[in-house]
Amino acid sequence: MKRIYFSSFSAIFLLSVFLSGCNQSTSSEKSGESEGKKLTVGVTMLSMQNEFIVNVSDEIEKKAKELGVELITVDAERSALKQIEQVESFIAQKVDVIIMNPCEVEASSPAVTKALAAKIPIINVNSETTAKPSAFIGSDDVESGRIAMKFIAEKLGGKGNVVMMHGYMGQAAQIKREQGAREVLKQYPNLKLLAHQTGEWDRAKGMALMENWIQSYGADINAVFAQNDEMGMGAVKALTDAGLKNKVIVVSIDAIPDALQAVQKGTLDATVFQNAEQQGAKSIETAVKIAKGEAFDKEILIPFQLVTKDNLAKFMK
Amino acid sequence: MENLLKTDRNSTQKPYKTRIRGIGRYGIFIAFMLICLVLSVVTPKFLTVSNLLIVVTQVSINALLAFGVTFVIITGGIDLSIGSIVAVTSVVAAMFAHPDSYPVIVPILAGLAAGLLLGAFNGLVITKSKVPPFIVTLGTMTIGRGLALILSKGRPISNLSDSFNFIGGGQLAGIPTPIIILIVLFIVCSVVLKKTVLGRYMYAVGGNEPAARASGIQLNKVKMVVYTLCGGLAALAGILLTSRITTGQPNAGVGFELDAIAAAIIGGTSTTGGTGTMTGTLIGALLIGVISNGLDLMNVTSYYQQVVMGIIIIGAVVLDSLNQTKN
Repeated sequence: MKRIYFSSFSAIFLLSVFLSGCNQSTSSEKSGESEGKKLTVGVTMLSMQNEFIVNVSDEIEKKAKELGVELITVDAERSALKQIEQVESFIAQKVDVIIMNPCEVEASSPAVTKALAAKIPIINVNSETTAKPSAFIGSDDVESGRIAMKFIAEKLGGKGNVVMMHGYMGQAAQIKREQGAREVLKQYPNLKLLAHQTGEWDRAKGMALMENWIQSYGADINAVFAQNDEMGMGAVKALTDAGLKNKVIVVSIDAIPDALQAVQKGTLDATVFQNAEQQGAKSIETAVKIAKGEAFDKEILIPFQLVTKDNLAKFMK
Repeated sequence: MENLLKTDRNSTQKPYKTRIRGIGRYGIFIAFMLICLVLSVVTPKFLTVSNLLIVVTQVSINALLAFGVTFVIITGGIDLSIGSIVAVTSVVAAMFAHPDSYPVIVPILAGLAAGLLLGAFNGLVITKSKVPPFIVTLGTMTIGRGLALILSKGRPISNLSDSFNFIGGGQLAGIPTPIIILIVLFIVCSVVLKKTVLGRYMYAVGGNEPAARASGIQLNKVKMVVYTLCGGLAALAGILLTSRITTGQPNAGVGFELDAIAAAIIGGTSTTGGTGTMTGTLIGALLIGVISNGLDLMNVTSYYQQVVMGIIIIGAVVLDSLNQTKN
């Protein structure tokens, strides 16, 4: 019985390998003659639970419609393994270009290698992988940390006590935003980092952390740097409840709609804008250029911008 | 048959269980006081009125979830979906909580209804099929997360009315509202568990299911009520959270179920069912909250915080079980 199962399985397996082999040759011939046809781009995004990533994805979709590109968009749900499988399936579907918003620097790397080995161009958007893709479109997170801390340093005249809220420890954005902030701290010896702790990118956790800091440091805190707006908003809420908001500067990163509103109200002092629209648009534009064999930039770095009450209008939609 | 089982329960199980319950609560209470004592000595900021109010406020959400899950664990079940129910409730309540849209009771009822529905769904599937609660609620956990994202389109819902934000962010007579809600629900849940027929049935179902069935308790009805109740309490936790952070968050509550289950278990609720008290669970939740607050006050690096937290959780439970075997 077992043997029959085994042999029939292997027969089916061999048959499918053979058939897929046939398929491959026919479809590659097809793609050769389908120059004028609609381009297909496979897109795998880090997480559709993240507002910023959703914005990037929406922009890719919008621009793709304009350019007449067919999109297959999938959500990797923060799993690098899932992302690799998705890229493998894109390769099997013979898409023209792959756009990947990598889950992890190292773990998502095999996806890049596999796509390039299958001669399908792959573009990384928003974050990097160790393996070099055909093109990279994103922003340098170190710069955002630098901009935020620089704002604090200037506001405080280079002197005072700062607390910093980290994202998930060990994630690329957390590491780089911290690195940027610390670079600036080094330039201002009188700017003291009183405490730093993770708020896991979360508003409720950021709020609880701020409440606890207020208990232990009280009026000694002059400024808060939160590595994203969610935590920054939590800090603002805790400081407001404690009646300390007008004494403490809060700066965070991402410029989500909530944060922009808070800047308008004056509760959040500044946020740093990461341009989701540009990242999305440039990545699909680059995809089309590559597919058509036109010249393209191998790396497009979209600058971060500081958002304060003064230049807020530009960023409000 | 019925009589036989009854005497059987009375002669062996019941005295044994009451004993464990009494000592278990005692052990965890000692551990809790010890940790508080250590923190008061190490950091002078810990034992102040304002800090203690903040700790209890921070604990309130986890405590509500833990009360619900205590009911479930006492009946021998488990509920992994409560974190996701928090997210669904958060989004649903926020959708109805914009200023000048509806009176504040509407978002509360809408959120509560969402939680009760998901809880009832858990109960229905668990009682109608023979699928273990672990798997059913694992499924609901994913469904709930998905629903929250669909309803909110993956984005936080902000701009909520002041009256809604008062629920979790206000004060009555100088006491933060979450603490008042916590106390009220603690009393309600304790009464349900200790003083009502339903409560006795919960212990009976978790203690010895065949015996409970033989003595005429409608198991399915009890389970249905328990999971719905748990969903309802998760909904209240979700409303509290939404009001506290003044936004509806589709990704709120990730991992909350584990903290709630930890609180219940630290508080002496046995995972095999049949034992547990609301007082124990409350102390369990307070213990977790105090540790996290204390480590923040002492500015312990986040890397170490997680390790310390885990060690203290295991330590508390080991201490508890040593106490039990000794007696």
